[in-house]
Amino acid sequence: MNFELYQIALISIGYLLLVFGIAHITERGWIPDSVVHHPVTHVLSLGIFASAWAFYGVVDLAFQFGYGALAYYLGTGALFLFAPVVLAPLVELTRRYQVRSLADLLVFRYHSLGAGALVTLCMLLGILPLLALQLQAVGDTLHILIRSESSHSAGITAKEIMALGYCGILALFTILFGSNREEHKGLITAMAFESLVKVIALLAIGLLALYGVFDGFAGLELWLDRYPENLELLHTPIKGASSHTLLLIFIATAISMPHIYHMGMTQNPMVNMTRTITWAFPLFLLLMALPIFPILWAGFALDVPLPAQYFTLGVPMFFGSKSLTILAFIGGLSAATGAMVVIILSLTTMILNHWLLPALRLKPQRNIFSQLLWLRRAVIATMFLGAYLFYRSLNNDYSLTHLALLAFIETLQFLPGIAAIAYWARGNRRGLIAGIMAGTVIWAIGLLMPVMTGTDQLQLFGYMIPLGVEQWHNVALISLGINTLLFVGISVYTPQSEDELYSAELCTEDEISHPVRQALDVHSAAEITQRLSEPLGSATAEKEVDLALNNLNLSVNERRPYALRRLRDQIEANLSGLVGIHVASGIMDKHVPFRLAETRGTIDINLIENRLGQYRTHLTGMAADLNNLRLHHRKTLQELPMAICSLGHDQEILMWNSAMAKLTGIDSIEVTGSHLTALAEPWQELISNFSDSDCDRLPKQPIQLNARSHWISLHKASIEGHLATGDQDQVLLLEDVTETQLLEEELLHSERLATVGRLSAGVAHEIGNPVTGIACLAQNLQYDTDNPEVLETAKQILSQTDRVSRIVHSLVSFSHSGQHKQQEFELISLQACAAEAVNLLSLQKEKTHVIYDNLLEESLIAPGDSQRLIQVFINLLSNARDASPEQGRITIDGFIDEDKVIIEISDEGPGIAKEHLEKILEPFFTTKEPGEGTGLGLAMVYSIIEDHSGELSVDSPADVKRGIGARFTIELPREI
Amino acid sequence: MNNQRLIILLLLGAYVFSPTILTWMINPDGAWYRPFIVWAIVILIAFFTQGRDKPVDSNKNPNV
Repeated sequence: MNFELYQIALISIGYLLLVFGIAHITERGWIPDSVVHHPVTHVLSLGIFASAWAFYGVVDLAFQFGYGALAYYLGTGALFLFAPVVLAPLVELTRRYQVRSLADLLVFRYHSLGAGALVTLCMLLGILPLLALQLQAVGDTLHILIRSESSHSAGITAKEIMALGYCGILALFTILFGSNREEHKGLITAMAFESLVKVIALLAIGLLALYGVFDGFAGLELWLDRYPENLELLHTPIKGASSHTLLLIFIATAISMPHIYHMGMTQNPMVNMTRTITWAFPLFLLLMALPIFPILWAGFALDVPLPAQYFTLGVPMFFGSKSLTILAFIGGLSAATGAMVVIILSLTTMILNHWLLPALRLKPQRNIFSQLLWLRRAVIATMFLGAYLFYRSLNNDYSLTHLALLAFIETLQFLPGIAAIAYWARGNRRGLIAGIMAGTVIWAIGLLMPVMTGTDQLQLFGYMIPLGVEQWHNVALISLGINTLLFVGISVYTPQSEDELYSAELCTEDEISHPVRQALDVHSAAEITQRLSEPLGSATAEKEVDLALNNLNLSVNERRPYALRRLRDQIEANLSGLVGIHVASGIMDKHVPFRLAETRGTIDINLIENRLGQYRTHLTGMAADLNNLRLHHRKTLQELPMAICSLGHDQEILMWNSAMAKLTGIDSIEVTGSHLTALAEPWQELISNFSDSDCDRLPKQPIQLNARSHWISLHKASIEGHLATGDQDQVLLLEDVTETQLLEEELLHSERLATVGRLSAGVAHEIGNPVTGIACLAQNLQYDTDNPEVLETAKQILSQTDRVSRIVHSLVSFSHSGQHKQQEFELISLQACAAEAVNLLSLQKEKTHVIYDNLLEESLIAPGDSQRLIQVFINLLSNARDASPEQGRITIDGFIDEDKVIIEISDEGPGIAKEHLEKILEPFFTTKEPGEGTGLGLAMVYSIIEDHSGELSVDSPADVKRGIGARFTIELPREI
Repeated sequence: MNNQRLIILLLLGAYVFSPTILTWMINPDGAWYRPFIVWAIVILIAFFTQGRDKPVDSNKNPNV
């Protein structure tokens, strides 16, 4: 069977255009989203893992290693089977920090720009053989198809031209669909289509082998019985150690190969559907692996005159099926295309982010996005050219398996570094760089150099060391062994930098780790925008800050240090997606740096809590119990009926409980994570001063709140911080003692009054005797003279002494008021008491004339001391009279309410001012002119009523409608 | 994370049973496709365990 060159060229170009078209219409949105985002599409797009080597080379691997060849699929399949555990941490990191490539991931974790450049170099070296493999597979299959038509040399030339043309078309495709920043929908659908073609082609050839060549399973069994050496071939090599090494290599490829990482992690499918991939991708691999042995045996059965690696093409060709031959060729072309496009895309990202961007300086005033786009395109084109030149330099001397092993063993060197990202926070950059360098040097000397130069041994200290691809097994084990040894050894014996520790802890986030809290010297989001304007240009800076604020759901006015730290990390993550982690962290470290000196050993409590909140549903067993315990304690503190806040040693507020929020009127969400200085006054001054002071207790600090005086007592305790630094966090307790303070003041006042009372009783007693003497002398004077002037003077003296006596009497009776005994009370008529008082008051003709309305009924009887009750009425009625206008009406009313007698005395005066209402019952309080009242009258009434176990209350105004009058209400018990 | 113990148990199980399974799988008297059968069974197990876990999965990450 033969094909014309033009036929094959047309078929190839036609197929590439089809793939091209699928990508195009997907970008245009012509393919429904349900198809584009279907899990099957994503799983198939991951199928680029199976490159041309999986399509052709694995048959050769099966020939050499028997069942060992399955390691290629089983290794990768196993990794994906455990994806939720093994890959999920990496996927989560990739998503959260916008990590675009494996090198980015390593740079992010080890915080070393050098590591990024080194990893890119090693990846480039390692992946070139894989690219050459794809080109070689395409070139060789072309050669096989048209061999009969062309001479050997002409075939080679045509092959090279075809390979160059193939490279050119692929470069165009990659530039058009893979170089923009957005999610590459077109690329994903195109790659899924390619995988579909690939798996269908392989299955079709497998079925052809099984049913066409062998007549089904029974036929195959018969053939195997006849040629048992083929079955022997399956089992013998698996007993050697090499198949285990193969398994190790292939497990590593699933994460360290740049194209798998690119498609699996950065193009999103894994992020959303880790669990579907867990079984769906191994299933895809199973389908790819099923036809391998039938194809191998069919090749032998048909005596295909080709190397085993091309049996996939040779079986349909020598069976005589033209259409299946084309399908096989298309399948191989498809596999090579998918792998090449994605490998080059991911390598371009690495080269750009780790070599070019750090070396070049993009001009911020020009559109940074378009500069990046053109740079990417240039790198993609160069990569394709480089791959082609490498392929030519190898001159077809090596089998696909050799080239694949060459590539895989180099990418194996990244395994220790990657494994440490999620599972070993101690690993550091020195260890990583030393390990990868050592591993790569061994690989380069043992495998790459022999392939390039043809040497097959090295003389070292008089020993001849065999080199070359035949030694792959030893080279792989020795390079990985020394790599791991150096990585672990150096990491253990050298310290980690602060930056590295911070990143390492971010990476092992699902562990309950102790993230270090770092301080920023910016205080607002606007300040970050301003600082980023310098490197990015103001428009881009603003756009990036807005994007990050949106991502985090934060407001533009955000000032909390905790939130600003998160904002900074988010901006860095977003920028990483744009220019790579290397440049992004460079920009952020230069313009919005963390101040490390202050942060030694400070644990970011807020971050830990945030993470525990997020991972709550993931915790089980003891971790869940501990978390519940934490929640319980937190709730206890949160709901404690005492205002509590806790401060980090750098005065960041770590906790603000609900009582605190109630006391201060500041919500917990507003202040948690912010610096103490951001608090509103007066709290800021109060808490800052106390936090800075040496004393543990600060009683009764006066503050003004809502124009009222408040008194706050503060207590403080230290929380043991990081031992090495002696830093201590603080817990503060605030106590609102305003009520106690007011009560104390009132108590002091009463105590003073009581003293005055006792004093005045003594004074009154002392004054009484001389006043009696003066009164006697004045009376004598009246009898001794007829002189009217003297008589008038004597009368005046008598009236004044009478007044003194009354004052003294009031004082004495007030001070003695508590000593009357209730046992001596008898039932008295309140109506009679009131009438008596009215009679007495009526005698004072010089006072205001008022009308007394005694409406009390005679039945109103209560136990009491009649004299003292008369005194009560006299005092209340005289007060009412003094307040009343001329001819005003004073009403005395009363009724019985169950076991109480209630008497109300109301007037038509102006009433009592609100501010006086509370004070009128206090002794010595009077609104009358000096000399008019003693201020003891109402106080005495109050104490007499109290002695009668009654109550006295005042209402003013009594007449609410007219707003005048005062009403005194006396409640007396009907029985003692 | 939380399922470390499960993984360790699985690894232990794999370690204990792998010689038996491997011997059975590559027994020269058996069918050549035995490894594929084991593989398919593993995929089925994965399908059922992951399928059952799905509702929990949709609840994760309440706030980022």
